[in-house]
Amino acid sequence: MTEKIFDEYYKNFHMQGGNTCCPGCGGPLFWKLALQALGPRTVLYGIGPCAGCATRSIKLPQFNLHFSFVADASAGIKRAFKVKGWDDITVVSSAGDGAVGDISFGKVSAAAERNDDIIQVCIDNEAYMNTGIQKSGLTPYGAWTTTTPGGKENNKKEIPLIMAAHKIPYVATVSVAYPQDLIAKLKKAKDIKGFRYIHALIPCPTGWRFDPAKAIEVSKLQVDTWTWPLYEVEEGVLKLNRKPEQKPVSEYLKSQGRFRRLTPEQIEYVQNEVDQKREDLIAVDGKKITL
Amino acid sequence: MSFTRMMEGNEAAAWGALRARADVVPAYPITPQTELISHIATLIEEGKMKAEYIKVEGEHTAMAAACGASAAGARVFTASSAQGVAYMQEALWMPPGMRLPIVMCFVNRALAPIGGLRPDHNAALMQRDNGWIQLYCENSQEAFDTIIQAFKIAENKNIYLPVAPCYDGYFVSATATSTTIPAQEDVDDFLPPYEHEMYSLHPDNYKSPPRATNIAKGRYEVQKAHERARKVIADVDKEYEKIFGRGYGIVEEYQCDDVEAVLVTMGSMTGTAKDVIDEMQADGKKIGLVKLKMFRPFPTEKFQEMGKKYNAIAMVDRNTSYGSAGGGIVSMEIARALYPLNDRPLLLNYHVGLGGSDVTMKQIEYMADKTLEAVSKGKVDEEVDWVELHDLGEVM
Repeated sequence: MTEKIFDEYYKNFHMQGGNTCCPGCGGPLFWKLALQALGPRTVLYGIGPCAGCATRSIKLPQFNLHFSFVADASAGIKRAFKVKGWDDITVVSSAGDGAVGDISFGKVSAAAERNDDIIQVCIDNEAYMNTGIQKSGLTPYGAWTTTTPGGKENNKKEIPLIMAAHKIPYVATVSVAYPQDLIAKLKKAKDIKGFRYIHALIPCPTGWRFDPAKAIEVSKLQVDTWTWPLYEVEEGVLKLNRKPEQKPVSEYLKSQGRFRRLTPEQIEYVQNEVDQKREDLIAVDGKKITL
Repeated sequence: MSFTRMMEGNEAAAWGALRARADVVPAYPITPQTELISHIATLIEEGKMKAEYIKVEGEHTAMAAACGASAAGARVFTASSAQGVAYMQEALWMPPGMRLPIVMCFVNRALAPIGGLRPDHNAALMQRDNGWIQLYCENSQEAFDTIIQAFKIAENKNIYLPVAPCYDGYFVSATATSTTIPAQEDVDDFLPPYEHEMYSLHPDNYKSPPRATNIAKGRYEVQKAHERARKVIADVDKEYEKIFGRGYGIVEEYQCDDVEAVLVTMGSMTGTAKDVIDEMQADGKKIGLVKLKMFRPFPTEKFQEMGKKYNAIAMVDRNTSYGSAGGGIVSMEIARALYPLNDRPLLLNYHVGLGGSDVTMKQIEYMADKTLEAVSKGKVDEEVDWVELHDLGEVM
């Protein structure tokens, strides 16, 4: 009986034991959940988070070129499958925040414009973590990194809404702290044709400076403070999937060493930004966004 | 059905992709490659060609998509020129090491700055170290024939390397010459569908090449594939000639019986040079012509044979290698090939046609005469001559 339960469990478990991620990294958890939703007829292109630390443990077909190659070879793979008539295989392209938001931003945008039939995942740990914590375009305001020793002076790019502005069939934000939401969104994405964009915020104890045991707590705080609201944009209609009672953003900022230097004025600035975004999102909740 | 008509190089290359039954064509437009991919788009639109055309946003993505499609088992064709090739640089290193048999035309154009839209060979030659096979073509017909051969070479399981048929922008890409496109069935017989023995990305049958634990060993495998390719390329050309009546050899020695010296040319200038050689031989001058088709892998043995036959070899380099050990890129290759010979011929090097300027009959005659003069003197006065710096009178 027990054996049977394990058999069933492992049938939907596409990671093998062990990986080279840091303790507390949200990456392996993301992939475990995502692949549970996508199932075994999935091909993974790319890496993330932190090079292949998590993806190396995935037991499905994989192809990878290099960090800066995003949503490109995956388009080629999908077209080749189309030629061969293998239409039931889901092709997932994965990359980190620096690849998606900075160096290969144009590639992701182009694949979206072409409406390539792939799922693009952004594994966002908010900095170049594999090279040792350098600021990316998706590092949040005020965060310490080795290239922003005094805290980042600029804001995080709003990639999910930028992707929604491409008028692609599906965009969703996810968090590993809300696994059911994550699984539901990837299942939905799997059944949609065209370019689908999933943006996952991945807790990084090493880069964010917090106790690895608190990865899920920190991720929950992101959502509960509205720093990382969970929403989806399906055929242009935005839907907030979670509207938690808002906790003060300072709770989230204080949970990590990277925000240690923030002054009360800076924290107020972050709070105002979060409040504005919250209001904006609530205003369009359930509506078609024109952007 | 086979047909013959006047055709520009770019159109012939598009027919090459069609007759080779390329499955996926990821491409980004750049002058002078543009008509090639527009022709492919039209052939697909008209239903003559069945291929997935990925209209990418840059050359880096073009080559990346090519890699993905190739690893997924598709036959992949693409093309680019100069700046595009340079922009693709990072991606161009992928297919040789990953053993992906992609065929990409380099429609030669000069690189900026100090260049124009017209051809020289720097953009292609600067890819000499990354593992692509490079075959230089003289005209539309050769461009077509080489593309068909290229797939056959690339997909040989002892090779599995990407192949670049290289032809000059404008002089070949946009100049119509009589071109025969063989029947589809005949090309199909020569180039049947293939299955990559190392790759399958299908979840039911996943395989990918093992990662080399010893990096040097991984690189040595690519090197060995290049060494094997020398014979495979020659054999494929012979087989092609038997079926289609046209063969080119890895190098062509043109009118080289009983000559003292040879000029070595690549690409479109060869046609002009052949005319000049004919005229000079009619005047009793003992100069021949060598057309270098296969630059990678380099035909070392051929040059060693030639080194024993001729008193002087003069390389006409349509490229520059600033600050090099001496002269252009190809002449340095030839020098290395000849070095082990006990009795080496004189080696001369000319820079000409840089940035796509015309290579004139006068210039070729000048180079031939200067080479013969070195033979009669028994020494080389000027090892590297920038021919275009001299006023030779007529310029087209």
